[in-house]
Amino acid sequence: MNNLVSALIGALIAVMIMLNGTLSNVLGNYIATIIIHIVGLIAITFVLLVSKQKFIINKGTPFYLYSAGGIGVFAVLFNNLTFNSLGISLSLALGLLGQTITSIIIDHFGLLGMKVMKYQKKKLIGLVFIVLGIAVMAVF
Amino acid sequence: MIFIAIIAGLCIVASRAINANLAAKIGIFQGTILNFIVGLIFSIVFLLFSSEGASISRISFISVPWWTYLGGVVGVLVVVLSSYITPKISAFYLTLLIFISQLLVGLIIDYFTLNIFSIGKVIGGLLVFIGLTYNLLLDRRVRKNTIYESL
Repeated sequence: MNNLVSALIGALIAVMIMLNGTLSNVLGNYIATIIIHIVGLIAITFVLLVSKQKFIINKGTPFYLYSAGGIGVFAVLFNNLTFNSLGISLSLALGLLGQTITSIIIDHFGLLGMKVMKYQKKKLIGLVFIVLGIAVMAVF
Repeated sequence: MIFIAIIAGLCIVASRAINANLAAKIGIFQGTILNFIVGLIFSIVFLLFSSEGASISRISFISVPWWTYLGGVVGVLVVVLSSYITPKISAFYLTLLIFISQLLVGLIIDYFTLNIFSIGKVIGGLLVFIGLTYNLLLDRRVRKNTIYESL
């Protein structure tokens, strides 16, 4: 079930990239990013109103937790920068490498409240296949 | 540039994990709202520092098909589902599962909209899938062993 939801997220991201990419091509990267966020904000506000949940900002919430939205925009900005000079496949492949390394570090040390999943040496074989796959995608 | 591309990947994973923490504190929908508010503020700041702002009056917003504006709605779905699933699954497998299905759907979209079919991406995706499955099986075996040891 968890794997299925994860796969669904990937499918949604692919659709999202197509929609946002089309929008960015016509309107420009930054204006498109603003519109995407406004539309998203309207959608989630609607969901919150329909579900009749309250919106309370807890004073005990650490400040860094609010940074996720900003970091996400940085990811989009970096992607736009690299797309232009490295091409789409290579920047996607390198981005995946960055994601893989970050995920392994987060799992290994249990950072950001995640469960600790120590890295095993045997997993290196699987990782070699993954890096190989990324390389093949970058070359072709 | 290569370094920036890798950092972009780091940002995606970090933002997902931080968002999941925020969702655990104030609720998934509430966390998503904050995510989009902060994102909107940053987008506006970036626009102000770019050269795009000057040409805003010359853009024809209706020249784009209406459904391309729905990317934000799909984005909300992605953030809500990610906040839900992140605490339940290892960051490594989440990243790779998302990647595999993203690649698959991306290939299908490319095929139907641009008539492109990339063999390199299929082979590369297959290799990533093999590596992922191998490590997943390894994890499963370790979990079984720890259960036996605790008995």
